[in-house]
Amino acid sequence: MRRIFAMAAACIALQGCANLGVQPWEREVLARDDMQLDANALDTAFDDHIYFSKEGTSGGRGFGGGGCGCN
Amino acid sequence: MSPHDSAARGQTRLARIATALAAGALICAGSGAAPADAPSFDLTRHQGKVVIVDFWASWCKPCRQSIPWLNAMRARYGEAGLEVIGINVDAERGDADRFLREVPIEFEVIFDPHGELAKEFKVRGMPSSYVFDRTGKLVQTHLGFRDAKKDEKEAGLQALLRQSIQ
Amino acid sequence: MADKDLRIGAALAAATCSLLGTATPGASIAADAAAKWDIDSAFLYYGESDDRVRDLSLSAHATRDFGDERTLGLELSVDSLTGASPSGAMATGGPQTFTSPSGRDTYSTPAGEIPLDDTFLDTRFALDGSWSQPFARLYTVNAGLGFSSEYDYQHIGANLGLTRDFNLRNTTLSAALAYAQDTIKPVGGLPLPFAQMTDAVGEDQSPGSRGDSSDDKTVFDVLLGVSQVLGRNTVMRVNFSYSDSSGYLTDPYKILSVVDPVTGDLIGRTPAPGASGPTGVYRFESRPDSRSKQALYAELRHDFSGKVLQLGYRYSTDDWDVDSHTLESRLRLPFGGSSYFEPHVRYYQQTAASFYRYSLANGTLPEFASADARLADMSAFTVGLKYGHATAGGNEWNARLEFYRQTAKAPNEVLIGNQIGHTQMPDFDAVILQFGYHFKL
Repeated sequence: MRRIFAMAAACIALQGCANLGVQPWEREVLARDDMQLDANALDTAFDDHIYFSKEGTSGGRGFGGGGCGCN
Repeated sequence: MSPHDSAARGQTRLARIATALAAGALICAGSGAAPADAPSFDLTRHQGKVVIVDFWASWCKPCRQSIPWLNAMRARYGEAGLEVIGINVDAERGDADRFLREVPIEFEVIFDPHGELAKEFKVRGMPSSYVFDRTGKLVQTHLGFRDAKKDEKEAGLQALLRQSIQ
Repeated sequence: MADKDLRIGAALAAATCSLLGTATPGASIAADAAAKWDIDSAFLYYGESDDRVRDLSLSAHATRDFGDERTLGLELSVDSLTGASPSGAMATGGPQTFTSPSGRDTYSTPAGEIPLDDTFLDTRFALDGSWSQPFARLYTVNAGLGFSSEYDYQHIGANLGLTRDFNLRNTTLSAALAYAQDTIKPVGGLPLPFAQMTDAVGEDQSPGSRGDSSDDKTVFDVLLGVSQVLGRNTVMRVNFSYSDSSGYLTDPYKILSVVDPVTGDLIGRTPAPGASGPTGVYRFESRPDSRSKQALYAELRHDFSGKVLQLGYRYSTDDWDVDSHTLESRLRLPFGGSSYFEPHVRYYQQTAASFYRYSLANGTLPEFASADARLADMSAFTVGLKYGHATAGGNEWNARLEFYRQTAKAPNEVLIGNQIGHTQMPDFDAVILQFGYHFKL
């Protein structure tokens, strides 16, 4: 369990690097539908439903972020 | 970028932009003039008018609302001295052209595919618009476009248009 | 009645997977300003090998854009289930007879085969609604409600979440909470833990091994996530989730074979004179009444010249000792200007629950035990291909075909006597076929 927290903390600490990323006008690829973190939502919902019923673990995907960064 | 801390630099900014653009930007009245024929651009020629400089891109979803609104403002207040200049930041000109076929633009467009002008203006989000008063001073910056704030922004423009040049 | 977990699972999936974390994706850019509804619909067929479970499912996700980033999401799905699934009893050298879940009939399994109990035709409805809106320039709040219902299972859930952007929207932090309340009311009532399977009874009597007719389960979830733009063509996210379930977590239809503690052979039984019933000693399973789970999920999306690679990894651990690794990848390959192929692979691996047993030794009962292969040492592999085609109007037809193979293993520690080297696990293959249409109104 401590390993999970350590991994998570490391990942979150990495995200803290404020110079990682792109300028607001450089998001043409990130704005595309197929680059959204929630693309394939319907497929994923079906899959999660099947795998939850057939396996011992479920969930964890999350939401938010990426995209065109507009407004 | 608040109107206050950039007020003093508004005038200098125009001059700097004029120089940067003279080096190779394009002007297009929305119909895709060939680069080689484009005259060099000078923002200071709009002095005496209220100028909105709007950064837009084909992939920017709120731009599909902001551009028709800017078209409407230009149509309504052009006679009264409002000028609108759109700066497109698409890396691929083809994407911008495709967008223009769906959402026509009725004001001047400059193409900034390498983001030089965007960097100059320190654009912090898409779309961004910068409003200059009749003296060429940057007085308002709008980050993003919200339908709910349209009337408030229009009232702001009316106030600026009522000001006369000192 | 088999495959309750498909329903229990679906209900929980509705509460966590579909509400928590996939709420209201923004509507895609509308070519026409008047197109406000974005609808993704699909029909799915799932079929397992050897006459086991078959599922037909119809699903629609609709998103309505109200302007200024305010979005309503609605998800409706209907599932129809048939087939048989393993009851948890082990295969033996001779034929076996069991009493059905209703307690009124019996069913039999031929010698040498894994006992499966028949699912009757069952339909499940699920409806989820969610709302998302900004409340300051960099903040988005979202909330959702979910409901699902089938003849023996009801679910209701709610979720609330917040996201905040940083670094010119290159970084997004998200946090969400979800709460769900489920009620299970199995056919024949809830069996008492480890109650022995009794003879079938007539229409006017109730089976002796049953206790209450229904019970509840509560699930609480927390999700914390970070997504980060890594470059012009790359975005990633990392989520940490915590899930706590309490209440009735046992599968009321699953049993264990009771065996001789030395030989590992099934203990035989004779039904009462004039009655029909089990020919062996079988006991209903019993799981703990709480389960606490943590998971870490990381995903990367990378574009290279129009092709998109998606790579995801999830590690999950819980206090039932079910630890799992999931590795998944998709690669979208556009071609011909308006079509794409998307191959997909997934590998899954889990360790057995601490109370997983292949069978139950006759004598002192353990605190908890289950022979459900879904709690065994198990691995699974999926390989699939999706094809999509965009129409002139900007809508999309797509089709997806996938193959799934699951293999389970009983750890040696849970095997007794002659079972060692002679286990039969209910491994299976399944095919998934999906047809979808994504359109705007």
